[in-house]
Amino acid sequence: NMAAAAAGSLRRAGWRLWRGRAVVRCQLYSPQRALQVSAVLRRVSDEQKKEPLASSSQQQFDSHPTNHQPEQEPQGPRPSYTGQGGQESEDYESEEQLQHRILTAALEFVPEHGWTAEAIAEGAKTLGLSVAAAGMFHSDGSELILHFVSQCNTKLSELLEQEQKLVQLGKAEKKPTDQFLRDAVEARLRMLIPYIEKWPQAVSILLLPHNIPSSLNLLTSMIDDIWQYAGDQSTDFNWYTRRAVLTGIYNTTELVMMQDSSPDFEETWRFLENRVADAMNMGNAANQVQSTGEAVVQGLMGAAVTVSDAETSRAVR
Amino acid sequence: AAAGLCPWRALLVRRGGALRLLCGSVRGLAAGPETHFGFQTVTEAERREKIYQVFESVAKKYDVMNDSMTLGIHRVWKDILVHKMNPSPGTVLLDVAGGTGDIAFRFINYVRSVRERQLQQKLKRHQNLSWQEISESYREDKFKSLGDSQVVVCDINKEMLKVGKQKAQHLGYSEGLSWVLGNAEELPFDDDKFDVYTIAFGIRNVTRIDLALEEAYRVLKPGGRFLCLEFSHVSNPLLSRLYDLYSFQVIPVLGEVIAGDWKSYQYLVESIRRFPPQEELKAMIEDAGFLKVDYQNLNLGIVAIHSGFKL
Repeated sequence: NMAAAAAGSLRRAGWRLWRGRAVVRCQLYSPQRALQVSAVLRRVSDEQKKEPLASSSQQQFDSHPTNHQPEQEPQGPRPSYTGQGGQESEDYESEEQLQHRILTAALEFVPEHGWTAEAIAEGAKTLGLSVAAAGMFHSDGSELILHFVSQCNTKLSELLEQEQKLVQLGKAEKKPTDQFLRDAVEARLRMLIPYIEKWPQAVSILLLPHNIPSSLNLLTSMIDDIWQYAGDQSTDFNWYTRRAVLTGIYNTTELVMMQDSSPDFEETWRFLENRVADAMNMGNAANQVQSTGEAVVQGLMGAAVTVSDAETSRAVR
Repeated sequence: AAAGLCPWRALLVRRGGALRLLCGSVRGLAAGPETHFGFQTVTEAERREKIYQVFESVAKKYDVMNDSMTLGIHRVWKDILVHKMNPSPGTVLLDVAGGTGDIAFRFINYVRSVRERQLQQKLKRHQNLSWQEISESYREDKFKSLGDSQVVVCDINKEMLKVGKQKAQHLGYSEGLSWVLGNAEELPFDDDKFDVYTIAFGIRNVTRIDLALEEAYRVLKPGGRFLCLEFSHVSNPLLSRLYDLYSFQVIPVLGEVIAGDWKSYQYLVESIRRFPPQEELKAMIEDAGFLKVDYQNLNLGIVAIHSGFKL
């Protein structure tokens, strides 16, 4: 992970150096823009001075308000923002970080506009950018959804991390496995509640062929995370079994949640409880492998049917 | 005097670059640095003059010629450009070198249909309003069928703008559309004004492309998008040969037959060959300060759409 982070930071550093050169070329052409260009140059050269120092920690590279969690990007203190429009602030961060900011800002418009380029355009507007900035993303809203999912997964990891710390410090009891799984899945699914109306649309977009690699990746890493914090130390076939079972539980509970109209989704949590209990009771019987496969297949089939039902019922409504 | 010297100077130029310098000094202080006009070498001032004359003479037959030369495919290219732009209502577009208004009209149509769809969705959600409220919401939205979207068509050539205005009147476009006479190298607009800047088949005719790109950067809002639709280089060798054959043998003939103007279409074809290829134009756009610059080849490189953002 450190290697990946180091490679990422080298990439960013290289990109910033290149940009510095590009800015110098710009300066040669247009002396009347000297004031603006030299302002840019100063900031870039400041970072060039900082970069050799920050070999191990990446604090200085990424300057970002810490009110949200971009995936795999370290946080850092943000230097004074003079507020002269989106342009200046962009010299402190890379394009990816700006894109993350736009997507995070876009999330509040999802309940109204859905997971679409319009929501992204509104998000860009709140950051002071033109609505045309939404052109940086796919028009089907895929990136917005993937960003949201990855954000939720990060939040879940942190939650589980904190709980684990409390247990290690002796401030909390270690939960039995079924309770742990139930709580983890419930916590993760609760993050969907503000967007539950438009969530069927998101699921159907995530199932598009060009999104499946990323969405599957996010799903499997989340499930893996949960099992790790649950204390799963297995190195045998059980590793696959446990993950497949939990994936099935998660997906089916998500589908139930999309159609649940009970107060505070009680029925969903009851469904979840039952599924987890079933999984625990499966034991080490030889048919465990078969039922695992069945659970996964059923989960996928149910996904397709339920999503299309949800879509049609939503359209009718 | 300049016109008289031109023919034999052109001859000498083909012999070698050194002679060009000699001729330059013979002519005394040239009117600006040397540049190209099709396959000829002219000064910048001459080039601007010649290009103005080209478009002055083709203006009336511009659309007809476009259809016949590209067999109507140029309409598809322009549609793809506007789809790529995916403008939302409220977008302010600057279409430079947009003379006859093709991009502007497509933009208006697109925004109108998006707005209609939005309205329909809004009404669906308000299913339990009274009839009074529904009819009121219809009325107020009808007035702004474009929803604050605007397009400014800017062109250096009066004749092209004239043709464009006539077309707009004929097709019934009036709202949210304005026509401005201006030079892409020196736009008559303030900074940070537009959401999108497009230049379709126009940047080839700009004498100082770098200046035009910088002006584009200046007038765009932060987050704004630069889109350029232009003929570009075909790398596929077979297609390249067919394309050359078609360009040099068929197009000027069409020009003579349909528009009565061989030379303008000869210029057109030559200027396409002289234009920088995709990667070079991408580098120039990045030099102007745009980020996330990318291009998309249409028809294997006959045409390319370059896109960049002011971030």
